[in-house]
Amino acid sequence: MKKSRFPLGVTVLVLIFFYLPIIILVINSFNAARFSSSWQGFTLDWYARLFHSPEIWLSVRNTLIIALGSTAVSLVLGTAAAFALHRYAGSRLQQAHYTLIYTPLVVPEILMGISLLMAFVAAGTGLGLFTIFLAHVTFCVSYVAMVVLARLQDFDFQLIEAAQDLGASWWQSTRKVLLPLLLPGLAAGGLLAFTLSVDDFVITFFVAGPGSTTLPLRIYSMIKYGNPPMINALSTLLLAVTLTAVIASQRLARLKR
Amino acid sequence: MKKPAIPESRSPSLGAGLSLLLLLLTLVFAGGCGPSRPVLSVYTWADYFKPELLKRFERENGCRVVIDTFESNEAMYAKLKAGAAGYDILTPTSYMVSVMFDQDMLLRLDRGRLPNISHVDPEFLKITIDKAMDHSVPYMLVNSGIAYLEGRVKDVRPTWNMFDRTDLKARMTMFNDMRESIGAALKSLGYSINTVDEKELLEAEAVLLRWKKNLAKFDNEQYKFGLASGEFLLVHAWNGDVFQVRKENPDVRFFIPEEGTIISCDDLVIPKSARQPGLAHALINFLHDPKVAAENSNFIYYLCPNKDAYPLLNAEIRQNPGIFMAPAIMARSEIIANIGGANALYIKVWDRVKGGN
Repeated sequence: MKKSRFPLGVTVLVLIFFYLPIIILVINSFNAARFSSSWQGFTLDWYARLFHSPEIWLSVRNTLIIALGSTAVSLVLGTAAAFALHRYAGSRLQQAHYTLIYTPLVVPEILMGISLLMAFVAAGTGLGLFTIFLAHVTFCVSYVAMVVLARLQDFDFQLIEAAQDLGASWWQSTRKVLLPLLLPGLAAGGLLAFTLSVDDFVITFFVAGPGSTTLPLRIYSMIKYGNPPMINALSTLLLAVTLTAVIASQRLARLKR
Repeated sequence: MKKPAIPESRSPSLGAGLSLLLLLLTLVFAGGCGPSRPVLSVYTWADYFKPELLKRFERENGCRVVIDTFESNEAMYAKLKAGAAGYDILTPTSYMVSVMFDQDMLLRLDRGRLPNISHVDPEFLKITIDKAMDHSVPYMLVNSGIAYLEGRVKDVRPTWNMFDRTDLKARMTMFNDMRESIGAALKSLGYSINTVDEKELLEAEAVLLRWKKNLAKFDNEQYKFGLASGEFLLVHAWNGDVFQVRKENPDVRFFIPEEGTIISCDDLVIPKSARQPGLAHALINFLHDPKVAAENSNFIYYLCPNKDAYPLLNAEIRQNPGIFMAPAIMARSEIIANIGGANALYIKVWDRVKGGN
């Protein structure tokens, strides 16, 4: 039987749809033209300027601090929440808990941003990196909990019992059985939290204070008076770093095996 | 189901988590050093100060200047109104300054600490809202006008009625901004852009509907790219944008219609929640030192209305009628005022223009 070409065609189209904008962005980061999309010659000027704008690097630093911090904390809290939800699934309390965890996923961002701001103001917390971190944890926890919960629902708890049967302590069975098996879920939740934190604009805008402008805030404000091609250059660099990290981690995983 | 394997090595998630935390701690502590100097927080548009000048201010005053940025007056206002504190200087547009002043959010300026505001151009102060500089000092001016491609548009006359040119049909754009576009139509009729007279507004609506037939779209952003590539031939534009596009397409020209135009002015203000009002006054005073004002304007390509800085400006700016408008046109130009309840009239007109055909 002749294989249909249709799936291949769809795959190619989808790939183009996903990656063409990124390719255009990378190409434009070397384009001397600032406004026209036509090619006006190769330049590294945008990269040079990028390395001379301390404000952008400051916001990159802020973004990374917040993303790493809120990912770490929301991973711990989210996983704990998922355990509670899974373990005591039937109880009234956990049903309420589930609703509470689920709500931040559906509440409009602007509402969350402004209510967090009002809460911080009422509590007298000075706005800054710390308040952004808290705000990001608030919504990241829900995403982590949902992802880990999905993983737990497929999890066979007899494995833990078997390990304990064979003499493993609680700590050993957790570290050597539960965590490794849960790792894909944790990694997925962590990556999701990290991504959400890095590109959040609306909530961050409201809870940011003096000296804590993050990269998305900086980029939006550059639309009025700033320099968009520099952003292309920065995105290209971020892309390169991410790709390198992904390839490196895949290599490492293969080496271990 | 996959067969579970108990790994020999330490669980990778623990290692990863630990290194993540370590990295985080180093980052936090690396950023936290040298806190003894006072910090002045400036909340402003991106790239709105020449960095070297701020460095100089830091040296002269033994402080650190931290810049944070917003992307619209309204978002900045919402945030401060909700109670965000800690910003010492803001640069909102005049109409937002009057809203904030009415809400009692701004500090009255201490004139004794601002000797340099005697350099502010008195001709410009005549058309501002806060004429006495009681709570705001003008910082930079942006003029609306018309930009076009000289090689492709024949027979250009410096008037808003260029939007009537049917030979440029679908190759023109106007701002997607209620006050700017209705203001242009009002000016073409010789009325004030801040009118609250319904009859005048209805006339302006008719003009806008007539112009709309010739427009490709209402737009505030893409027109720059369209003009650079030749997709649009004539656009309603802000002067600063046009001078940047012109570096790429030398065929671009800009004029301010002789009927007068809208001048947007961003002001320097100190919110009541400021923690460093003393340093904030010092920065306002510093920015209106004529030499500093000229250097700043030469860098960001907007005009600081400081009369003693004018002779020190680059010829490129000094001789540019798009930045330095002729006194007669300046006298006919206006600043967008906060018109309060009459805003509803404008919204109705704008809705009918956007919806009609």
